[in-house]
Amino acid sequence: MGAQDLSIFSLGILFVFLLPILYISRHLKFGINKPIIFSMGRMCLQLGFVGLYLEFLFKLDSPWLNGVYLMMMISIACYSILKSSRLKIVLFFKPLFLALLIPFAIILLFFNGVVVHIDNLFEAKYLIPIGGMLLGNSLRSIIIGLTNFYSGLQKNEKEYLYSLSLFNNRIQALKPWFRESIVAAITPTLASMATIGLVSLPGMMTGQILGGSIPIVAIKYQIAIMVCIFYTEYFSVILSILFSLKMGFNDLDVLNTNIFAKTNLHNQGKKF
Amino acid sequence: MISFESVSLDIDNSQIFSDLNLCVGKNEKLLIQGRSGIGKTTLFRLILGFDQPRSGQIKVNGQPLDKAHINQIRQQIFYLSQDIDLKDEVIIRLVTEILEFNSPRKAPLEKMNRFLTLLELPSGILQKKTRDISGGERQRLGLLIGFLLDRPIWLLDEPTSALDDAMKEKISSHILSLDKTIVIISHDPVWKNNSIIKIKRWS
Repeated sequence: MGAQDLSIFSLGILFVFLLPILYISRHLKFGINKPIIFSMGRMCLQLGFVGLYLEFLFKLDSPWLNGVYLMMMISIACYSILKSSRLKIVLFFKPLFLALLIPFAIILLFFNGVVVHIDNLFEAKYLIPIGGMLLGNSLRSIIIGLTNFYSGLQKNEKEYLYSLSLFNNRIQALKPWFRESIVAAITPTLASMATIGLVSLPGMMTGQILGGSIPIVAIKYQIAIMVCIFYTEYFSVILSILFSLKMGFNDLDVLNTNIFAKTNLHNQGKKF
Repeated sequence: MISFESVSLDIDNSQIFSDLNLCVGKNEKLLIQGRSGIGKTTLFRLILGFDQPRSGQIKVNGQPLDKAHINQIRQQIFYLSQDIDLKDEVIIRLVTEILEFNSPRKAPLEKMNRFLTLLELPSGILQKKTRDISGGERQRLGLLIGFLLDRPIWLLDEPTSALDDAMKEKISSHILSLDKTIVIISHDPVWKNNSIIKIKRWS
């Protein structure tokens, strides 16, 4: 039993509600019509492409191909994290890739092998959607974590250097920023875990129920996936900060100033 | 103990020093004077490895400031920055953390009361947070950490700017009596009232 298929036409009908939205935004000069159309268009294209691609992957179900696809997902995640965190991609890509890969691979394989007991650990049906959920959620936390860490340090550089002079140890001097960024990074997930089920039914569960699972099975999967998301986030945030330190600091433990990508913010600064 | 050999430094394309030569001997007391903004603080930042010179070399105890020696060098230097940039934390916890980290075997906390009295700090201050005390108290807290750490080289950036006259007198004469290599940046005339200090004027 599965969910009823949607015809392209009936899916398209959903977009009628876009008309009043575009009208209102235009009438009130919100200036967001372009981004709305762009984002909607991108979502449709990307998901359409993934749909076709997944059909192909699921049919073939080759462990190697699935593995390569996951690596590609991690690479895109790294790129997007560094772009949002204003950090130079050339410098941080490799450490971040490892920071994502290690916890992600361990938790994902543990979930597939020990929790779900599937024979082929690399089975596309489990590997790719679950991998996507873990990665997608870690993405937001790592952006919060890295941004907090480096911008906090940049803002309070004097305080860091003073601690460095007193402790004479980089890790000890960095502790307050470590703590602050990790807490900031995992707080949203903690909050959503604490309210889940009361406010919203998570997407995965909804999908499973529509897909024909009985609610209790869907709930079990949901609990398992939330826990895995939290673990992956926690470790990948810590590792991404730890692994980035080598690039972030010079030989004398001072924050490198050339790690930040140039953005418009930088230009705005010149006006003052 | 500290030597600068033809050191040049630029920050944001403007020259701070060029071809600076300076030597501070063991247990010497040096007072650096000069108008604001000419790079006095930067001199301390260079010794601590916070800034790196464009050319020339800085050595502390004959060791160059590089990856291999930086920890050894920082371990010998107590730095009192102008704003005493301590992290926000309950003072006793912060002081204990610093001391335990520096000498894990025996933290010299028993000396605490002696220095609190010398600095005229009430012991109740230890329960407050670093952001909740006044500028003068903060300056004395910085010095308290310096006394407890007891490192051989002291770099003091305006150490008496927030203190009253009597306190300035008392603390400066105590500091100058220590068997330590001390470099002081200060506009305060109180440091000049003695014969041991060498004065270097910068223009």
